[in-house]
Amino acid sequence: MEGFNRRFKDTAMIFSLILLSVPFLLFDYAPGAGDMADLGKNVYEERCMICHGSKGDGKGLVGIMKRAEKSGRILDVRPRDLTVGVFRFRSTPTGCTPTDADLMQLLDRGITRSFMPSHKELPLEEKKAVIQYIKTFSSIWKESEPCKPIPVKKPKWVGSASSIEKGRKIYKEMKCWECHGEDGRGRGPKSDRLKDDWGNPILPFNFTSGALKRGTSPEDVYITFTTGLDGTGMPSYEDSLKEEDRWHLVSYTLKLMGRVK
Amino acid sequence: MRSRFYLSLLLISGLILIIFIALAFYREISPEWKRYQADYRELLIKKARDDASRKKAAALKIEHQQIYLESLKRVDRCMYCHIGVDNPLMADAPVPFKQHGGDYLKNHPIDKFGCTVCHYGQGRATNKKEAHGIIPVTQFDYPISYRLKTPPPRVEYPGAGRDTHWDFPIIPLKYIQSSCAQCHDLEFLNNKGADRVVKGERLFREKGCRGCHKLNGVGGDLGKALDVVGSQPYAYFPMRNVKGEKTIYAWHRQHFIDPREVAPESEMKVNVTEQEADYLTTYVLSLRAEEMPRSYRRIRDMRFQERPGDGESLYKMFCIACHTTGKDSVFDEIFNRTIPAIMNPAFLKTVDNKHLKRIIEEGRSGTQMTAWKASAAGLTDGEIDKIIEFITRQRPKSKPEPFSFTRFRADIKHGEDLYRVRCALCHGNKGQGGEGSLGLNLRNPVVQEADPEFLAITVRDGRAGTPMPPFGKNGVGLSDQDIADVVSYVKTLSKKK
Repeated sequence: MEGFNRRFKDTAMIFSLILLSVPFLLFDYAPGAGDMADLGKNVYEERCMICHGSKGDGKGLVGIMKRAEKSGRILDVRPRDLTVGVFRFRSTPTGCTPTDADLMQLLDRGITRSFMPSHKELPLEEKKAVIQYIKTFSSIWKESEPCKPIPVKKPKWVGSASSIEKGRKIYKEMKCWECHGEDGRGRGPKSDRLKDDWGNPILPFNFTSGALKRGTSPEDVYITFTTGLDGTGMPSYEDSLKEEDRWHLVSYTLKLMGRVK
Repeated sequence: MRSRFYLSLLLISGLILIIFIALAFYREISPEWKRYQADYRELLIKKARDDASRKKAAALKIEHQQIYLESLKRVDRCMYCHIGVDNPLMADAPVPFKQHGGDYLKNHPIDKFGCTVCHYGQGRATNKKEAHGIIPVTQFDYPISYRLKTPPPRVEYPGAGRDTHWDFPIIPLKYIQSSCAQCHDLEFLNNKGADRVVKGERLFREKGCRGCHKLNGVGGDLGKALDVVGSQPYAYFPMRNVKGEKTIYAWHRQHFIDPREVAPESEMKVNVTEQEADYLTTYVLSLRAEEMPRSYRRIRDMRFQERPGDGESLYKMFCIACHTTGKDSVFDEIFNRTIPAIMNPAFLKTVDNKHLKRIIEEGRSGTQMTAWKASAAGLTDGEIDKIIEFITRQRPKSKPEPFSFTRFRADIKHGEDLYRVRCALCHGNKGQGGEGSLGLNLRNPVVQEADPEFLAITVRDGRAGTPMPPFGKNGVGLSDQDIADVVSYVKTLSKKK
C-alpha cells in the first residue's frame, strides 16, 4: 500500500509537470499572436513601408524608380504590390503562394537590380514576424492551400557540351529567343512589347549580364523554368518540358551567361 | 648502297633549292604591278580612237612610277597599279585603272597632293597587300586581266581581314571625308557635299562625347583624350572582339554601336544608329596628329571648332551623355549608381547657384562626376555660369519653407541610429551610395561641405520626382530635431573609414 502510494505520487508529479509545461512550451515556441503581429508591423513600418506603402500596395513614399539598362533603355522599377498576391520568386508551382522559406530567402538576399536591399542583418524573429505581417495584405494567403515546394536535384551532366547543344535546340524550339533574343541579350523580336500583369513595360532578361534577380546558381535557373515568374511574361515550363529538358536549357543559359565554355 | 642514297638526297635537295631560287627570281622580275601595267597598255590600245594614239599607247613603257612630295616628305607609288587615275579615257574602266571620281584632282593636283594624304595606306609599297595594308577577305589572285577570257580563280587569303602591320591602312571610302577635315573647315565642307564628317562633328558635339573625353584639353576624364585618335596606330585598339575585318575603322564603328562588345570594361554611354556610327567614325578619324603644312591648309585652326557660346549647346557638349534631359533621376547599370536629376524642379527650388557651381567645379569624388573647373576639365568660369543658367531656367518661383538649422543642438549619436534605419538601405552604411544601391554618395566633399540648411530641407521635403522620399511631417514623420540629428551625423560620414 505504502509502495503503491509512493509510486502513484511520483507518477502524478511527473504527469502534472508534463501537463503544466505544455502551455509554456507552446508559448515559447510561438509567442502570442498579438505580439508577433505587432513586431511584424513595427518592422514593416520601419523598413518596408517607405517603398511598399502602408497598405502594402507598392505605393510608398519612394515611388517609381528608374533604371537605365546597359543598352540605354530606361525602365521603371516599381515596388511590388503585395495586395494582389502574385509572387515571382517561388519554389512552388505556378499560381501558388510562396513558402515562408522563399520569402525568407528574398529578405536575406534582396533582389539585385530592383533596389530591394538585403535585410540579412535583421534578427530572425523580426524577419519571421514581418513575413507573417506581409501575408495580411492579401486574402490569397487565407483562401489558398499552401503548395509543396518543387524538389530540385541537379544532374551531374548539367553544363556539359552535349547538354548545352540539346539546350540550344530547346531554346530554339520553345521560342525562348522571341523574347530573350538569339544571343540571349534580351533583344528578341517580342521584347519591345512585353508588359507585366500590372500593365507596366518589362524587359526580358539579358543573360550576358549574368545577374539573375532570383539568384545565379544553376538550381535557381532551373526553378525559374519550372515555376515560371508569375505576373511577368515568363511562363512555367513544368508541364510543357520534361525535367531533363529543363536541365538542358539550364546548361544552355549557363553558356549564354558565359559561365561554362 | 649507302653512298648512293646520300648522293641522291644531296641531288634532290639541291634541285629543290634551285627551284626555289628560280621562283624567287621570277617573282622579282615579274611583280604584280608589271602585269597591271601591261593590262593597262592593252586597255589603252583597245580604247584608242585613231592610229596615232594607238601607236602611242603601244609604245607605253612598263616602268617605275612615283610621286615625291617634298614639303610632306612623302613618296606615293600608288600609280604602279592605279595608272589611269588621271586619264579621262578611263572614266568607265574597272579598278584599278579607273579614273579618279569627282573633280577632286582638279582642285587637288596629283603632283602636289599625291594619294596617301587623303587615302592613307603605305605609299611606298608596290603590291596591293602591303600598299592597302589590309589583307582582303577574298579576291582574285590577279583581279583583272584583259588577256584572260575567264576570270581567274578566287583565292581565299590566309589571315584575311587582318592588317599587314602597317599602322595606317587604306581608309574605306565611307570614311574618306575624315581626310578633308585636315585642311578644310567644316562649314566649307558642308557646302561642298562632305556632309558625313560634318554630321559626325555635330553628333560628337550633341551626344556629349566631351563629357568624358578631352579634346584640346577640355572635357571630362572618364574616357581617353581624343586629340590624335585618328592617328593612333593599330596596336592602340584592342582588336580581339572586333567582328569581321580587324581594322581600326571596323573597331571605331563597332565601338560606337556597342562599346562593351568591343571593350567589355568600357563605361561609355552611347546610343547611336548604324548610320550615325559611320558619321562619328568619320569625324574621330579626322582628329589627327600630323598637321598639314600651311600651303595645304584652307583654315587657320583646322581641327577644333570653337566652343559654343550658349548654355544649351554647352550642356549638350559636356553634360548630356550622362544627365540626358536632366528631368529624371535614373539608376545607371553601367556606372552602377544613380545619376541625379539636375533639372528636377524640387532640386532647383532648394539649391542655390553657389552650391550648383561648387558641384560643377569640384565634381563629386567617388563618383563619375568630373571636376569641371578650368584647372581640371577645362571649362571657364563664364561657361560654367552659362550651363547653370541653362539648368536653372525652369526654376520654380516659390522658395522652400526655411528649416533654420542653427536653432537645434544636434545629437549625433541619435542621428547615427536614425541613419542606420532610415538612410543606410539606400545610401550605404558609410554613405558611399552607388555599388548597386539607389542613393547618392554622401561622402564626397560637395555634400560634406554643403550648407546644412540645404541638406536638412532635402531630408525634410524629399525630392519630388526622384526616389528620395520626404522624411519630415508630410512623409515618414521625423521631427525637425530628428532631421537635424541625421544631418549632423551625415556631415561626419567622410571621417568614417
